[in-house]
Amino acid sequence: MGDAPKSLRERLWGLPWRRWWRALHRDIGYFAVGLTLVYAVSGIAVNHIADWDPSFEQFKQTVQVEPFPGDDQAVSQRALMELGITDTPVDVYRSSDTRVDISLENATVHVNPATGIIIAEGQRARPVLRDINWLHLNRGKKAWTIFADGFAGMLVFLAISGMFMIKGRRGFIGRGAVFVTLGLAIPIGYLLISGGP
Amino acid sequence: MERRSFLQKAIAGTTIVAFGGILWRIASDDLTRKARAETRPDGKPRLPPGQRVIERLKPMGGEAGNPSPRAFKLDVHGTVDKPFSLDFRELLALPDAKAAVADVHCVTGWSVMGAKWMGVPIAALAQRAGVKPSTKHVIFEAANGYTANVRLDEALAPNAMLVWEYDGSPLEEAHGAPVRGLVPDLYFWKSPKWLTGLRFAEQDEPGYWETRGYHNHADPWREERYG
Repeated sequence: MGDAPKSLRERLWGLPWRRWWRALHRDIGYFAVGLTLVYAVSGIAVNHIADWDPSFEQFKQTVQVEPFPGDDQAVSQRALMELGITDTPVDVYRSSDTRVDISLENATVHVNPATGIIIAEGQRARPVLRDINWLHLNRGKKAWTIFADGFAGMLVFLAISGMFMIKGRRGFIGRGAVFVTLGLAIPIGYLLISGGP
Repeated sequence: MERRSFLQKAIAGTTIVAFGGILWRIASDDLTRKARAETRPDGKPRLPPGQRVIERLKPMGGEAGNPSPRAFKLDVHGTVDKPFSLDFRELLALPDAKAAVADVHCVTGWSVMGAKWMGVPIAALAQRAGVKPSTKHVIFEAANGYTANVRLDEALAPNAMLVWEYDGSPLEEAHGAPVRGLVPDLYFWKSPKWLTGLRFAEQDEPGYWETRGYHNHADPWREERYG
């Protein structure tokens, strides 16, 4: 006589769920490495926006010389000479008697010919950081929203599957429950203590 | 070194550094103490709650617009009788252009007191455009699609302006050159950089940060930071 047929519950229970969780967790984890680094590094950078500009670094130089009235060309040449800049201006624009703006490739020079004050200023993009902040803040919109949503879904899967990958001595009730509770307690506790939004 | 000993020393070291940093910050913050002791003419404390004073504006990032004055064009439009556009020369030549002093307050927690500005009151531009009586809001339009919404009465307050100079110098690229908004009585994200237009509207339209969790009104004295 053969064994009695197994119920659906018994058949499902007998499947190698943990092995499948582990395999999926590993592969999705590999896939998520790049985006996790993008969001984590940019998250720290943007979190401290009150202390620094996470995407650009600024520069500014001020020079005071004798007043040097003249036409746009003359003012531009003199100002760039005083600053030691050899770049060719992209544009020279006089908006008033006291303001001439010289646009360079990566900087602007403001000149007040009436006072002789020359100010060169501009900002340089921080390599890599500017790009990942752009992605993190979803400045690009459109298609990136789809990738970002997909990544969020993957993180949800990694969090859930991570809880069931390895069976501890006491199952999930052991250290798993302790750490999950601690992890949940941090945002809930912060909301309660701070008063929330 | 044993693991337990290492952890104990690491925690002790971190606590000492953090505590020292906090003490140094409190002890060296004369500007904040001074501002906290002052009161505005309207009776509010000069420094809103939760703010500390720094000496100069901080660049706060954002997707920069074109800083070239030649490329600048301001569109004043929406619910107005006479929409118009101004280039940079025309803006600077407006008879209402004036110097002003105003405190500004960033939602991230810093404030600059007594910042010097040169610009034109938004009320003067509104008057020129002939704002329709049904108008309730002003939408600041800026480079790369950035917008910020402000109630009409607050946008037309005497200290609300469009500015092109800060602290005696042309506005820097990082601060929104060539022209930015200035609404000092709201958090500073309501003063958009790289401004391109003022749109008067009957309906409110939450802008870039307002649709990303920040408060729709942004009153610093009520700490309306987040929605």
